[in-house]
Amino acid sequence: MRYLMMTMRDDNEATPDEKMFTEMGKFVAELSAAGILVASGGLDPAGTQMTYEDGEITVTDGPYAEAKETVGGFALVDLRDQDELTEVARRFFAITGNGVSRVHQVFG
Amino acid sequence: MTDAHRAIDAVWKLEAAKIIGGLTRMVHDVGLAEELAQDALVAALEQWPRSGVPDNPGAWLMAIAKRRAVDHIRRARLAESKQAGLVRDHDEEQPRDDDVLRLMFITCDPVLPARDRAALTLRLLGGLSAAEIARALLTTELNVTQRIAVAKRTLAARERSPSADITAVLEVVYLIFNEGYSATSGDDLMRPGLCLEALRLGRMLATLAPREAEVHGLVALMEIQASRQAARTGPQGEPVQLHEQDRGRWDPVLIRRGFTAMLRARDIGGTPGPYVLQAAIAICHAQARTADDTDWVQIANLYTALVRLLPTPVVRLNRAVAVGKAQGPQAGLDLVDRLAGNPALRDYHLLPSVRGDLLEQVGRYDEARLEYERAAALTMNAAERAFLVRRAASIVPVTSGPTLGEAAREFLARSDLDTATIRSYSQTVRRLCRALGERLPLASLTADHVARVFATAWQGAAAKTWNRHRAAIRSFGAWASMPGLDGGVERRTEPPAQQAELDPVRLELVWGLEVAVRERTLWRLLHESGAAVTTVLSLNVEDIDFADRRARTGRDWVSWRSETARLLALLTDGRARGPLFLADRRPVPARMPAPQDICPETGRGRLSYPRAEYLFKQATRPLDPAGNGYTLKQLRQSGRATRARTA
Repeated sequence: MRYLMMTMRDDNEATPDEKMFTEMGKFVAELSAAGILVASGGLDPAGTQMTYEDGEITVTDGPYAEAKETVGGFALVDLRDQDELTEVARRFFAITGNGVSRVHQVFG
Repeated sequence: MTDAHRAIDAVWKLEAAKIIGGLTRMVHDVGLAEELAQDALVAALEQWPRSGVPDNPGAWLMAIAKRRAVDHIRRARLAESKQAGLVRDHDEEQPRDDDVLRLMFITCDPVLPARDRAALTLRLLGGLSAAEIARALLTTELNVTQRIAVAKRTLAARERSPSADITAVLEVVYLIFNEGYSATSGDDLMRPGLCLEALRLGRMLATLAPREAEVHGLVALMEIQASRQAARTGPQGEPVQLHEQDRGRWDPVLIRRGFTAMLRARDIGGTPGPYVLQAAIAICHAQARTADDTDWVQIANLYTALVRLLPTPVVRLNRAVAVGKAQGPQAGLDLVDRLAGNPALRDYHLLPSVRGDLLEQVGRYDEARLEYERAAALTMNAAERAFLVRRAASIVPVTSGPTLGEAAREFLARSDLDTATIRSYSQTVRRLCRALGERLPLASLTADHVARVFATAWQGAAAKTWNRHRAAIRSFGAWASMPGLDGGVERRTEPPAQQAELDPVRLELVWGLEVAVRERTLWRLLHESGAAVTTVLSLNVEDIDFADRRARTGRDWVSWRSETARLLALLTDGRARGPLFLADRRPVPARMPAPQDICPETGRGRLSYPRAEYLFKQATRPLDPAGNGYTLKQLRQSGRATRARTA
C-alpha cells in the first residue's frame, strides 16, 4: 500500500544541525534500500493558492497566516500496512523531534 | 492485538532479515538463528507493552538475540572442550550488510524445492508469519509450518557450498513476484501484497549486490510489470490485454524506477542475461505512448535473443506473438503451430488463446472460436475464463451437425458396455475433447487431429497405455461410423516385462536429484532394503525400529542402512503413528481411505503406488536417455544387485 506523508511546517522548530542531517541521510538511505521510500522532497514555503469559482481562477501568493497548516515536505512510501507506517513515522520523528505529519493512503 | 503487539509485529517485519542474518553468521544454522531471534521477540512482547517501544527497536532486538547466541555458543563450546578459556567474545560483533545477502543465499539454496525456498525466504527475510505465507501461497498454515521446519532441517544437515548462487536467489524472488502477479488459480488475477514483497526483496538485493547486472534487470522487469497493475483488470475484474490497457493508468513512478534499474544494468555491461532481456522487452512496451507505437520489430528481436538463453515453450510462444505483430499474423501462426505438439504446453491455456487470436486475424473464424473455447476450458482463473468465453461467443458459429462433445457424451452413455470399459474409454475421449475443443464439429474430426493429440498427451506413455487409448479411439470411430480415426496412430509393441536395473552411474544421478524428503526417503529405502514397493508403502511409523534400522511387516523384516536412517528421522518429524509415506493432500470425502491409511496427526492419506511411481518417473525423466523416466521396481532391483555383488 502506498501512503503520502506530509510534514507540516512549524516556524518554532529548531534549525536542523549537522547531526540531524547525517541521521536523516542514513534513514533515507535505509528506507530506499529496503524499497520503502518511493519519492520525497522538501517544499518551498512560498506556495501559491489557486481558487476556482464559476469559471474564474484566482491566484493568491503565500505564505499563510497559520504556518503550521502548510506542508513543509513530503514522502511517498510503499508499506505493508498501517502498523508499518506508524513504525516508520516513529523513526522519522525520533530524528526530527516534535512535529506533525499528515498521511493519506494513495489509491490506484 | 494491542498497539504494542502491532508495533512489535511491524518492527519484526522490518528487522527480521538483519537480525536473523547476523545471528546466522554467529551460529551457522539458520533454524537456530531464527529460534534465537524469536526468543528476543518474546522478550520484546514482555517488556515493550510496559516500557514502550525503544528508540532503536532493531538494535534492541539484535542485542538480546546476540546475548542468547553467545550463551548458546559458550555452552556448545564448553560441552565440546570443557575449557571455558576458548570462548571468543562475540559481544563486539556488529551487524554487517552482507549478513542479509548471505541469508538470502541460504534460504534460496537449490537443494530445497522451489516453493519451499519461497516460503522460507518470505519467513526469514520478509518476517511474514506462517499464516500470512499460507494466505499468500494459497495453502494451509500447517503445511507452511511443516515445510519450513523440514527446509530448515535439510539446510542444517548439509554442508553449504562456498560459492553463493545469485541466479537461485533471482529465481525465488521472481517466483514470489509471479505468484502475486499472475495468480495461478482463484478468482483474482493479482495478489498485490506478494508483488510488493518481491519488489522489496529485489530492491534490497540490488543494494546488496550492486555489481550484478541481472539483479538490476530483474528489478527493472518487476517494477515495470508492477506499474501496469491498475490497468491490467477491467471494472468486472476481467483481464485487459497489454495492447488494450489504458496507458494513463500505468504507474509512472514505478516505470521510472524500472528505467533507472535498467540503466544500472546497462552500465555494468556484459552480455545481457535473461532478466535484462525480459526487462528490455518490458521497457519497449513502457516506452510506447500508444499500443500502435509499439516497436514490435525490436521486441521480436529481443525475444529471438531470449529464446537462445531460455528456450522454454512459454518464451517461444511469446516470441510467436511478437513475430505475429512484427511480420503479420500468418508468420506468428506458423511459429505457434510448431509449438502445438509440445507436450509441455498441452494444458497451457495461453497456447489456444494466442492461436485463437492469430486465427481470428487471418480470418479462420471457426477455428478461432474453438481455440478460445479450449483455452477457457483449460484456465483455472475465473476472470480469465469469463473473458475467453466472451471472445468465443463473439464469433458466430456457421457449422452444423453434432459436435465432438455431444458425440462423446452419447458414446459414453451407451448401456452395452461395462463400467470399467466406460471408465477407460472416457479417459481417452475426454482428453480428445479437451485437446480439440468440445464444439469441434464431429464431421471435421480427422485422423490427423487424433494423431496430434496422441503425440502431445501420451508420447511418453507405456506401450500398454498407448494401445489402450488407441483401442478406445477405434471403438469410438466404429461407433460414430468414422473408420480410420486411428489411422495416424501406430500400435506400439510392448517391451519385455523385465526392466533393466539401474547401473551405478545412473543411480548416482538419481541420488543427486533435488526432491522432497519424502521421495528421497522412499527411494533410498527401496534401494537399501530391496523390499517390494507395496511392502514399503504399507509401512507405518509405529512399526519402525529406529535403533536397529528395521521394521516388521507381517512375518518379515524390512531393513535399511545409514542413508535411509538419516532421512527417516527427517521424514517422521515427531510423528508417532500412521502411514510412513503420506500423500500430498488430504483425501476428499468421496475417496476416504480406510482409517489405517490416514495419518492421525495430519489427516493425510497413505501415498499410493501409482502416485509414487508417477513422481519417480517424472523426476528421473531428465536422466533417462530414452526420456521415459525410470520405475521404482528398477530402483529396487538395482539395490538387490548391489547387495548380491558385495555379498
